[in-house]
Amino acid sequence: MAEKPRIRLPKQAGKGEVVEIKTLIAHVMESGQRKDPSGKIVPRKIIKRFACAFNGKPVFECELEPAIAANPYLQFSVKVEESGVFAFTWTDDDGAVITAEEKITVA
Amino acid sequence: MLNSPSSLIKTSSRKGRFLAGGTLVILAVSIAGVVSLQTRAQNARLAPLAIEGPASPVPWVRYAGWPNRDTSKFNSLTRIVSPPAPSSPRKLGKEVAGDPAAGQKLVADRSRGGSCLACHVMGPAGGADLPGNVGPDLSEIGNAGRDDEWLFNYVNDARVYNPDTVMPPWGTHGIFSQSEIGDIVAFLKTLKSPAKFKTALDDPMKRPAPVEQRDNLDALVNPAMWQVEERAPTLWKTAGPAGASCASCHSEPAQSFRTWAAAMPKWEARLNKVLGVEEFVTRHARATTGQNWLMQTEEHTALSTYLRYLANGAPIAIDTAGAEVKAAYQRGEALSTRKIGALNFSCADCHGADKSASKWIRGQWLGELRGQLDHFPTWRTSQQSVWDIRKRFQWCQVAIWADDLPPDAPEYGDLELYLASQNAGQKLSVPGIRH
Repeated sequence: MAEKPRIRLPKQAGKGEVVEIKTLIAHVMESGQRKDPSGKIVPRKIIKRFACAFNGKPVFECELEPAIAANPYLQFSVKVEESGVFAFTWTDDDGAVITAEEKITVA
Repeated sequence: MLNSPSSLIKTSSRKGRFLAGGTLVILAVSIAGVVSLQTRAQNARLAPLAIEGPASPVPWVRYAGWPNRDTSKFNSLTRIVSPPAPSSPRKLGKEVAGDPAAGQKLVADRSRGGSCLACHVMGPAGGADLPGNVGPDLSEIGNAGRDDEWLFNYVNDARVYNPDTVMPPWGTHGIFSQSEIGDIVAFLKTLKSPAKFKTALDDPMKRPAPVEQRDNLDALVNPAMWQVEERAPTLWKTAGPAGASCASCHSEPAQSFRTWAAAMPKWEARLNKVLGVEEFVTRHARATTGQNWLMQTEEHTALSTYLRYLANGAPIAIDTAGAEVKAAYQRGEALSTRKIGALNFSCADCHGADKSASKWIRGQWLGELRGQLDHFPTWRTSQQSVWDIRKRFQWCQVAIWADDLPPDAPEYGDLELYLASQNAGQKLSVPGIRH
């Protein structure tokens, strides 16, 4: 995918604050159920797993299913106790892994 | 009607001799000294453009996945060949033979121009499937006292009763055979009770008009913003084969293009046609950076979206002065009322305030011309891609079973000029996001 993933979260937060994280990645999310004009099944190609870790510890992860629309958007909340780095990984059916990182400063 | 560059203009463009005021004069080589001064003065105002060659692939091939019906026997924006309307209703016997069960299937057959239900509520038979309201509710047509001959002729070619109708001439254009129209008539005669709708949304008279409330400039909402934020600025700085990039001359695009796109399209004397942002990008890049970004390629769409994005908030204000512009406007207006394709619709038939605008065609809302330009190029969620206004024109035509034109067709320029005039004062908000 040409475009980098989009991530939105506050740059700063108070200790113990629950912050909202929005993520979006460009992906066709081809379900494997559609047929092309010649009648052949378009092979499945989806992001099958998303995970977010904060300072190396998992804070959110999920499996994605074929019915999820293109460019999957995920929004979740995390309680932060310390400054650190969120690491995001999207895993494609074909094994490709897309990663991104965002810092947050906790005062 | 056709607006192709004349040989005079081709000759003069090769020599690069132009005078102000849109008037083109071929100057004799003997006064070359004077000419070079005039040319230099002119070049200070005129952006370099590659005049020769097309701005889109030749021959134009319709996009992959779009329908490929043969619609060559019907009007398009470049030719008038549709069969004429009958001069009078066909005289028939008292009863038209037909099978109402077959007719019921035909009125809902979406492969025949979208089906009758696209425009008519048709009672219990098909009232559940998001009917439209462009035409009258036919749920009780069986009580209306219309005889078979009238019903037959109305379906066959409604123009024999109403020259202003927007209804496709189903029989004259061969979409339904004569015996099929008999079946439809037989079915219509069975419609004698008001439509019952499963939900309020099924009733086109009660269905609320769609309102677009998404934040089209938020990259988390609108994937077209990715082109504006990343792809286009990268292309802007990338040197082309000629060694220059867009940034070589336009180092502060956000400053210098704050209103430029809102004044497009414009009459371009060097090409003898109306030029929109999209074709301008192709011809200007070819003349300056050496990039050959043909219209509708990925790079081209990213850059033309970016240039219109940079003018966001600026009201559409095109230059309407000059005889050529007025002539182009009049051509555009005439094209907007030309009935084209097997379904025989003009732009105005669907989008004219006095015709079908602000009504439903099946589950799709027909907007007025005003409001159809400020958000282009737009992300189309149903297509997962960015469409510029020229691609939107092309799809309108294919959807009504008419031949589309190449995106740089002069007819589209005239039409875009007319559309922009109808949208004067509307503020750009690009890229839009629509179904």
